[in-house]
Order: sequence, then C-alpha cells, then structure tokens
Amino acid sequence: MDWLRKFPEKILWRIYYICLAVIVFLDFYWLYTHVLHYHFSFQYIPQFFALLGFGGCISLIIIAKAMGVFIVVNEDYFQKKAEEKKGDPIE
Amino acid sequence: MNSWIHPGLVIGMGGLLIPFIPWNRLKQAYFLMLPLCGLAIMVMTSVGVFGDIPPQFSALHKWNIPFLQYTLDIGRISKLSVLFAYVYIIAAFCMNLYALKAKNHWEHVVAMIYVGSALGAIFAGDLLTLFFNIEIMSWAPFFLLLFRGTKKSMKAAIRYVLWHHVSGLFILAGILFHVHQTGAIEFTRMPWGWGVKYLGSYLMLLGFVINSATVPFHSWLSDAYSEASPSGSVYMTAFTTKTAVFCMIIAFAGVELLIWMGVVSAMYAVFLAVLENDGRRLLSYHIISQVGYMVAGVGIGTEMAINGAAAHAFCHIIYKALLYMGAGCVLVVAGTTKFHQLGGLYKYMPISFWMIMIGAFSISGFPLFSGFVSKTMTIEASELANLLIVYLMLEVASIGTFLHTGLKLPWNIWLQGRKEPPANIHYRLKDSFINSPVNMLIAMAILSCLCLFIGIFPDVLYAMLPYPVEFVPYTITRVFTATQLFAFSFLGFWLFRKKLVGHPSYVLDTDWPVRILGGRLLNFCKGPLLSFGAALDQSIMGFSQYFIKRIKTPHIAQMLTPPAIGYGVLIILFLFSVFLIFKI
Repeated sequence: MDWLRKFPEKILWRIYYICLAVIVFLDFYWLYTHVLHYHFSFQYIPQFFALLGFGGCISLIIIAKAMGVFIVVNEDYFQKKAEEKKGDPIE
Repeated sequence: MNSWIHPGLVIGMGGLLIPFIPWNRLKQAYFLMLPLCGLAIMVMTSVGVFGDIPPQFSALHKWNIPFLQYTLDIGRISKLSVLFAYVYIIAAFCMNLYALKAKNHWEHVVAMIYVGSALGAIFAGDLLTLFFNIEIMSWAPFFLLLFRGTKKSMKAAIRYVLWHHVSGLFILAGILFHVHQTGAIEFTRMPWGWGVKYLGSYLMLLGFVINSATVPFHSWLSDAYSEASPSGSVYMTAFTTKTAVFCMIIAFAGVELLIWMGVVSAMYAVFLAVLENDGRRLLSYHIISQVGYMVAGVGIGTEMAINGAAAHAFCHIIYKALLYMGAGCVLVVAGTTKFHQLGGLYKYMPISFWMIMIGAFSISGFPLFSGFVSKTMTIEASELANLLIVYLMLEVASIGTFLHTGLKLPWNIWLQGRKEPPANIHYRLKDSFINSPVNMLIAMAILSCLCLFIGIFPDVLYAMLPYPVEFVPYTITRVFTATQLFAFSFLGFWLFRKKLVGHPSYVLDTDWPVRILGGRLLNFCKGPLLSFGAALDQSIMGFSQYFIKRIKTPHIAQMLTPPAIGYGVLIILFLFSVFLIFKI
C-alpha cells in the first residue's frame, strides 16, 4: 500500500492544466453556439465565471488580510486581558 | 391504524440506560442500536404503517396530550419533519460509530439525549413542546464541553450555556406574547409585520436567529464547537443550528429580513475563515456560512427556496459531520488542529485526507457531490427572484468555502509542501498509512458514500423535500459554471498559498464586545457598584439610627401618650371616610 502514502502531485497538476485549457476553450465555444443559458445578462460575458472565481478568491484573501490588521491578536488575548484585570469573570 | 412511537423518546430515553449495561461490548452494540431503532421507526412512518403523510402544510397528528387548557401536539409528522428526522438519525448513527470508543460513557448518554430532544423539537406541533425540547438541547452540549475536562472547555461551556439561556428566554417570551395575544399554542407560521403587536414574533425570531448562529449572534458557535472533545464536537455540528433553521422554515418563511441576515452571514464567516489558524474553528465559520445559505433561502420563501434550504440542511449535516470527524481524527492522532503546528501528515493519514476532500468538495458544491444539488437550488431561487446582489454574494461565498475547506484546510494540515510532519507531532505517529482509529474511519467512509450518493442520485433527496421539485441540477450550464468557478479559484489560492499559512493567533469576532465589555460590566458591578451600594447602605443606616435616637429622647416619648395616638388615628379615619363618601 505504499502508493497510497505518496501524494500524487504530478498527476493532479497534469489533470488540472488540461482541465483549465478545456474550460477556457469550452466557454468561448459554448457561448458562441448558445449552449449556455443564464438568467442575468452579465453572465454572458466571456470567461465571466473564471474571472469571478479568480478575482473573488484573490479579493477575499486581500480584504480579509486587511481586516486582519485590526482583529488578529495573540492566541492568549483573553487570558492576558483577564490577568490584567484581576478576577475578570469572563476569561 | 397503528399508534406511532416517537423516535426521539426511544433514542433519548434509551440513552439513559447506557451506564447500567455491564459489558463494554454490549454497551457499544446498544449504543449503535439506538439510532437504528429510530431509523426503523422512521422507515415504518414513511411507508405509511402509521398513516399516509399528507403534502406540506398539513400533517399527521399523533400523541395529542391535554395539558392545562391546551392540547400538546407531540408528534406532528409532516414531510419536512420526516426529512430532518431521517438525516438526524443517519448522522447520529455515524456519530455514534465515531464516538464508540470514547472513554466517558456519560458522553454517550448526553449525546443520545441531545439527539432525542432534537427529534422532539422537529416533531413538535405546539410551542410548549418545542420550547421544552429546545431547552434540553441547549443543555446537552454544555455537558459535552464539560466532559472534555480542560479548563478552557469548561469556560467555553459556561459561555455557551449563557448564550443559549438568552436565546431560550427570548423564545419563551415570544411564545408567551403570542399565546397571550392569540390564545393558540400551535407551532405554525407566525404573524409578521411592523408594529408592537408583532412583538411575540420578533422575540421568537431573535431566539431562533441566535440558535442558528446568524451574524451578528454567531460567536458562541466558533467558540464552543472548537473546544469540545473530538467526538463531542461532531454531535454539536448537526442539531442546534439546523433545528433553528427548521423552526424558521415553519414559522418565518418569506421574511425579507432573513435574506439579508443570511447573505451577510454567508459572506462574513468566509472572511473570518481566511484568518483562522485553528482547523476546527475554520470549520465552525463554515457552519455559520452554510447556515447563512439556509437562512437566506428561508427569507426568499418561494417553494424552490424552501426546498433548497431543507435540502441544504440535509446535505450540510452529512458533509459537516464528515469534515468535523476528519478534523477530530487529526486532533486524536496529532493532538492539535492548529495549522502552524501541522503539515505533511499525508504520508500517515492519506485515507482521512481523501475523505475530507470528499466533504470539502461537497460543501463547496462541486458537481457529483452533495452540496451541488442543494446549494444550486438556493442560488437559483435567488436568481429567479431577481435578487442580483444576493446571487453574487452567495456565489462569492461558495468560492470562499472552496478556498478554505477545500484548499486551505487540507493543504495546511496534510501537505504544506512537506513530506514529513514537524518533529513535535512526528513522534506520536506510527509508520503506517492508518493512524486514526478504525471505527472513526468507517464512520467517515459511510458519510463520504452518502455525500457521493446524494450528489449522483439527487432524485432520492428531492423526493423527500416538502414541495414538489421541478429543479434539475445537472444541466450543462450549471455543471460548467461550477467547474469554471472552482478551477480558477484554485489558481488564486495557489498564487496566495503562502499568505494562508497558519500563524499562532486568535481572530477577534463579535465575542469581543460580549467578553471584554461584558467582563468590564461585571467588574464594574463587582467593584464600584458594590462599594457605592455599601456606602449608600451605610448612610441610610446612619440616618435611620439618628432618627431612632431622636424618637427615643424623653421629650418626644412624653408627647406620645395614648390620647395623642388616639386623636391621630381618629383624624386618619375621618380622612378615609371623606375619601370613601365623596369618592375623590
């Protein structure tokens, strides 16, 4: 069972690259041949969902990291706070 | 027609017998049998042994018990409650299998009471039975947290139970208002509108919103669920929030406020999950996010949206239990779920990795996995209702879900580009591909199969939904859109993967005002307020003593002779009679 213990990284990357190429091609092709049917008009922009996926992912990370400046604290934040004010009931 | 047996009662009461069973093997077998008994009752119910289940908005009524001037409706069997009961019982079976080797058998007892009361709540046809069961449900996780035994979990338990007392009191107050106004205790659609006469509904909804961990009342969830024992936390993921969603579907479908609360929850939790360093806290944020989808579905309120919310609750319980089980395995094997201490576990736990990936693809809504057939329903409902912003926010939230649960969590725990885990956990591992206990892996395997089964054969689930389903999930557009979305969000993740590595940190949430300001308020009460009270006390005592002293002086004492007192009484009586005669 040793094959199970090795992460199949190369195979997965190859599959991923092929998928990516196929997806980009199919989007153009299926939009052109009117196979895809959407509800809103902006969804018909070529590669809209690819851009939404990529842009959404990156903007999520960037906005969250910006929020993190204010809300990420030390692991023992509440314990420290409790020690500062002795006998703080809610640690 | 045969009389019905309440599966909640069988499971909850049956759980109480666990400590009295002498042999360990027998105890374990009995523990697994309990949900199977429940499942047998449910199968008999749905094949019509106890009578046919009518379509939505009407139900079978069993077990009507007179109480005061009301009649309690303990067994209201509708299509919706049967759907929830099935998933509760199936999940409970897998969870029991997962928790089979937990050392403390009281944990088993509490878990079974928890499951039983959750079933009691979804079969409740009146508000009093519902409240009674919700109250029991709020206590069970308190004990699950206590049984972990660490100082941190005990404090989390107290915070948890405080939150749920508050929500319970809101629900109770709402029920009392409602009953006072309408005189009916039936648990059905609550009146909704603007104005004081809807106060009962507002209070009840607030209680359900707290119970369902909708933003901004969600901080109890990530706080408590990440502190419980590995098996305890698995039980906690399923019942409390989903029962609240069930109550909302019954009572508050179509309330527009809920759309926005749900969508904000779905988005907000995804943002916080980016920063999270603890695997189980990250998964808790995704409960909040996914429940946001359901709440938004309830708010949209169309038949498709309600179907979507119910189907999503069904799928969510299964894949979330699976994900929590995976994280629990890591906790059992490596002793931690903090990302900065993990990485490179793949060589030692590959099976749990792949099963977590099945859960992760399901929660993200990949085609062929269970989330796809339920989540797309809610998103489609928002499209059909022309809610553009809601639609976009739900799409972005599903990207975020994939980013964290599908990529960040497995990458940080199992891979991180390392072949071997860090030295501080390496010594705990056997040199084998199975490190987790086998019963845990079997439980995970059953849930993984269910995720795939529902994803591949969605009609089985759709047949159980409350309304007839016309939705077809597998169209070229939907499958292609989802694939496109996720393939490219992986690209985003890969570019920024170094930014998502864990650091020892804590993310402040809406628990900050509760814990810090609440702590300050308590400190204020203990310090300044108490000393002010003491000072006030002292001055009043001083004044009254001075007064008593004055009365006791000989001069006043001489004046208070019996005739003087008699005259005084006479004057007062005269005044009273004047009042009485003239009715001033």
